[in-house]
Amino acid sequence: MTVKDVAMKRRWGMAIDLDKCTGCGQCAIACSQENNMPIFEDDSDVPKRVAFLELMKVTNDRDAKFPDVRAAFIPKMCQMCEGNDPKNPDPPCVSVCPVVATDVGDDGVVSQIWSRCIGCRYCQAACPYEARVFNWWKPKYEGNFKNSLNSDVSVASRGTIVKCTFCSHRWKQARDESVANGNLDINAPVYKTACQEACPVGAIVFGDLDDPKSEVAKLVASDKALRLTNSIDDLPEDKRKAFLKIKQFPNPKVYYLTSQKWLRDMMRFEKNS
Amino acid sequence: MKKIERKDFLKISGGALAGGLTGWVFSGAPFLGFQMSVEWTQDQQVVPKGLEKFVSAANDACPFGCNVRVRKIGERALQLQSDKGLCPSCQTSLQLLYHPERIKSPLKRTGAKGSGKFEPVSWDQALKDISTRLNSLLSEGKGSTIAAINKNESLSSIMMDQFVSTAGSKNVYYEAGLKSLETPVLNGYIDYDFNKADYILSFGARLIEGWGNISDVRQSYVNWKERGVKLVHADTISTRTASAADRWLPLKPGTEAVLAFGIANYLITSKRLNSSGAEFGRWAQMIINNYPVSKVASVTGLGEDQIKETAEEFYKAKNPVAIAGKGGIGTSASSAEILGVYCLNSLVKTKAVEIKRNSAISYNAEFSGLDAFIKDGAFNMLFLNNSNPVYKSVFGDELKKKMENAFVVSLNPIMNDSAAFADYILPSMTYFESGSSDNKPVVKSFEESKDARDIIITLAKMIDKTKNIFPFESGLKANTLAGRETATNGSFSYNTDKVKESIETLEKNIAQNNEFPLTLIPMEIPMVGDGDGLAFPYVHKTIDPSHYYKEKLLVQVNRETGKKYGLSENKSIVLQSARGKIGKVYVHLTDTVAPDTIAIPLGFGHESYTRYGNKKGVNPKKIMSSEIDPLTGRADWWSTRVKIG
Repeated sequence: MTVKDVAMKRRWGMAIDLDKCTGCGQCAIACSQENNMPIFEDDSDVPKRVAFLELMKVTNDRDAKFPDVRAAFIPKMCQMCEGNDPKNPDPPCVSVCPVVATDVGDDGVVSQIWSRCIGCRYCQAACPYEARVFNWWKPKYEGNFKNSLNSDVSVASRGTIVKCTFCSHRWKQARDESVANGNLDINAPVYKTACQEACPVGAIVFGDLDDPKSEVAKLVASDKALRLTNSIDDLPEDKRKAFLKIKQFPNPKVYYLTSQKWLRDMMRFEKNS
Repeated sequence: MKKIERKDFLKISGGALAGGLTGWVFSGAPFLGFQMSVEWTQDQQVVPKGLEKFVSAANDACPFGCNVRVRKIGERALQLQSDKGLCPSCQTSLQLLYHPERIKSPLKRTGAKGSGKFEPVSWDQALKDISTRLNSLLSEGKGSTIAAINKNESLSSIMMDQFVSTAGSKNVYYEAGLKSLETPVLNGYIDYDFNKADYILSFGARLIEGWGNISDVRQSYVNWKERGVKLVHADTISTRTASAADRWLPLKPGTEAVLAFGIANYLITSKRLNSSGAEFGRWAQMIINNYPVSKVASVTGLGEDQIKETAEEFYKAKNPVAIAGKGGIGTSASSAEILGVYCLNSLVKTKAVEIKRNSAISYNAEFSGLDAFIKDGAFNMLFLNNSNPVYKSVFGDELKKKMENAFVVSLNPIMNDSAAFADYILPSMTYFESGSSDNKPVVKSFEESKDARDIIITLAKMIDKTKNIFPFESGLKANTLAGRETATNGSFSYNTDKVKESIETLEKNIAQNNEFPLTLIPMEIPMVGDGDGLAFPYVHKTIDPSHYYKEKLLVQVNRETGKKYGLSENKSIVLQSARGKIGKVYVHLTDTVAPDTIAIPLGFGHESYTRYGNKKGVNPKKIMSSEIDPLTGRADWWSTRVKIG
């Protein structure tokens, strides 16, 4: 096979089963370790905190009274929006970047190049999911912590936006490995993200949404799947199409799976009983 | 207008330039520029050099037997991988390995105890001093005043157990875990076969929040979902386990044991079931007389139908499992509760539960539990094996006082609240550095730290009485000491006379109390657990701001209760129990908590636990219930009567 025959077929996406999720937080730890998150003395300071994966605790206690209340955790990372047309992806953050520090690849991953970012924070304002974080301070790694830095992910400097990239460096590794083994097909290698690997109950499933045989494609097609605050998802097909013609929607590629009504309502900002 | 002379023009321009320059210098801009150029040129990440390798590491100190695959580049460990999921302490172990506050060499105390003043000394000097004191204590015939507190049932703990008992003391204790709670009550610990079970009834055991064998239970949880096994969970607050359960029994705080008695009553009276435990007759009489379902319903706040339905389901299931031991990583239970819940398993004769013993660990100390020892015991010399009882025991402050009059040696890789009171701190290795019987060390040892097992062997060889107990030179061979697990065939006793005391304490705690009208219940938050996680900076990134935010620890209060006591969101309050006060904590109003209950996160308020863990929030154990159970020898601190002071 020659390289020019190869067209990208992958469209990476993720499905997170919130009914399985125990809220253990190990995805967040693994993500921080993998992506060289900076360390501040008090990282409970949320606006200052730099993390790609937020472990959000949610309850329905605004509308329900004890004991009808429930609690769940939503691991929230970059939702990898693709806009209305998957063939021609247009996430809200990409078009506003004046320096092409963020772009969307033919694999559907919204990339971010820390060293190209000028810190204008337009993308942060444009992001509907608050998935982008700004390094207000110089990232610090005290003492020996430097030794555990992952050499595949560059350390950001002060004044730049950073975000989850679906561990795309791991895909690069997988491709390198595949090429080293003599397979030049770019669609051959698959990989696991750090959060998926750390999840002890297999609640996070990552894979190719366009591959009908992949587990993630099957999960996404189930009735349990929904996307965070993507309001058109619940509309009938004809209405949805009509809306897509007149307005741009984020259409993220991260799906959440739950059969619990309160959680579905909450993720739609709807009042639940 | 006057024409500006050339001279004046030059003067003005010169003045403006000088002024501008002065302003620029005083603004700090040149210094900042200099600092930035220093940062850019000097303070960059050093990329590891060498080949990429994946190596296995087994954590001998992990009671759950986590197996880790470590990604290495050159001499650095960069990443952990696992097929089965890791326990929280293994997940943070890379941060422990490279913690900036790892202890570099043996430390000798120079200031007052607890002041945190230590000086580095050599291994020879430290071990010589410790062994001299130990030898002189033994020659005076005071061997029985030596004590040891282990963190868990790891290999180094079994070695410490053998070392101290050979020296002549029965005082070897383990920090509160399920096994050390259950053993004195049931004559062994409970081994649950969750893959066989087809109905799970949990009495406050927050199964998916870190309870028991963490990785196994989480795997089982997925398995239950696939097999359609029903999970019923009794709890006072809407925890994740309560939310994930098929049915949540929202009972009043501290009444889990009463619910177990009620279900037992139903099974004994309606189904005529029998238990094989000794003294069952008296126990059954007590249950039948004192805990009819109607009374249990009013005490627990549950409906009679709810209790009967649960009992009926439990009876009909083939291999149901009733689980005692409230909490996640930090567990607490009274003997009444352990017996009451085990009674249910014994009544239905489930095959998914067995009582077992480990031949190497007897838990056969002078006092039946650690809290009883701290409160009533005396010691001249204390070994702390990676344990932190000053923080975790409700008698932490009492232990501090006793440690001031004793010689204390602590083995741990980073400073903790208890080690701050030690005379010597001996730096132990993480499992990456020590290796195991099957795996080579992953990285070189940090500075002068040593394997805890090797430290114990060296020390044992320096003492006349213990010099021959370990027939090997290296701690890596300690796995030969690991005991075998054997079933005890369920021989246990209901011990009705002794348990009576435990039931009285329970009744007193849940009775109407006008002085302390509220009940304090602990909760655990992800990765922080019962406190071990707080030293690791990435753990702080997972903390939800509704639990802890910028030095403020938030307690969860029911909205109605908040209204009753005039509490508004984020208001600072002080909590007071019969034991004392803690404050300030801040109010978070939420209906996830039962009325008249305050849920407080465990794991905060360390006094000495590295810069990341120090002085963050408060430690609720300081005011939690401290009445010692006659059988477990532990305080059942779970529910504490408090008021807002």
